[in-house]
Amino acid sequence: MPLTLLLIAGGVGTGVFGALLGLGGGILIVPLLTLGFGLPFRDAVAVSLLAVITTSSASAAIYLARGAANLRLGMTLELLTALGALFGGLLAFALDERLLAGLFAILLAYVAVSMARRREGRPPGSAVPSGEPPIDGPRPGGYVATLGGAGYVVRRLPLGLALSAFAGVQSALLGVGGGIVKVPAMHLVMGVPLRVATATSNMTIGVTASASAMLYLARGAVDPYVAGPVVLGVFIGATIASRLSHRVPLPLVRWLFVGVLTLVAFQMMARALQVSISR
Amino acid sequence: MNAGSPRGSDPVANAVARLLSAGTVASVSLVGLGVLLLAAVGLVPTRDRGPALEPSVILADVIALRPAGLLWVGLLFTLALPTARVTVALLGFSRSGDRRAAAVAAGVLCVLLMAFGVALVTR
Repeated sequence: MPLTLLLIAGGVGTGVFGALLGLGGGILIVPLLTLGFGLPFRDAVAVSLLAVITTSSASAAIYLARGAANLRLGMTLELLTALGALFGGLLAFALDERLLAGLFAILLAYVAVSMARRREGRPPGSAVPSGEPPIDGPRPGGYVATLGGAGYVVRRLPLGLALSAFAGVQSALLGVGGGIVKVPAMHLVMGVPLRVATATSNMTIGVTASASAMLYLARGAVDPYVAGPVVLGVFIGATIASRLSHRVPLPLVRWLFVGVLTLVAFQMMARALQVSISR
Repeated sequence: MNAGSPRGSDPVANAVARLLSAGTVASVSLVGLGVLLLAAVGLVPTRDRGPALEPSVILADVIALRPAGLLWVGLLFTLALPTARVTVALLGFSRSGDRRAAAVAAGVLCVLLMAFGVALVTR
């Protein structure tokens, strides 16, 4: 019973952090399960992907009902993210777990630095303010013209699709949603307003995670006794966070998150290098 | 037409939203029941490894109220939701005559089915 509760509590914590900071829970679930509960890296990624699908489905329902997510644009990008996730899911079983842990440590360090440099209202990795899209130029025609929304047009679709494929590979390899790539790609490259980019990214990560989760499931990497409590906890955490977000001092949460990410990045790199860190 | 449009103005998006909302509640409820059973029978996650997915025994497990049965049904429901969402969007776009969006949705569905096929072949 205590271990079940600990897994639920861990899921709640990662769900709250992820939802408050718009990063999804995956960035902390994999370290929690590998470093905290001793799960093999691929098993942790498999559980994380299921949690990512749950939070994506729950948030997409709200964003779509409010008209905040762009369904047509999201589905267009999903074509390439799902293909990337399929490729990444196959690649994950061909790579050494220590290499995957090393890649994860690099991702954590990147996110920590992005969060530390971030101002309120900017996405992780973003270097421009969150207001108007930064891109100008001729208006696109044809199918691309139908992907825009109120007050914006979608530009540079081929580059956006290429970045989406990369986000899919990264998601499948490391068990994260891929929003860290998709949100800046949509906002900075394609000229989509930040709020729409964030909502659309939240919607698309479910399909991305689903494509690779099937591969992990078929190869026996999903332990239902671990996945159940974590999925439940993440759902509860994300639900709590959506109601608390306007009351919580986000700068404090962000710096706490940066500290946790930095610590976890070091531990994950130590695992990759098989160096022992005394606690 | 889509993003930024007033609430409820895109029937396809609304249909997808309703599906996701109901599907998430159903899947999390099933997983929650499975977790309760897991705790009730004294199984310890990470110490006791859960059974691998075996579709032929899931129904029997659910009827017998074994935790693995409800957990697997809930997790499979979770996994299937994005595919169901794409299918509903495909049907909605087709009905509304939006052929290009329907073609894109069909493409996404093909990739998901391909992933399912690859998973079965390489398991």
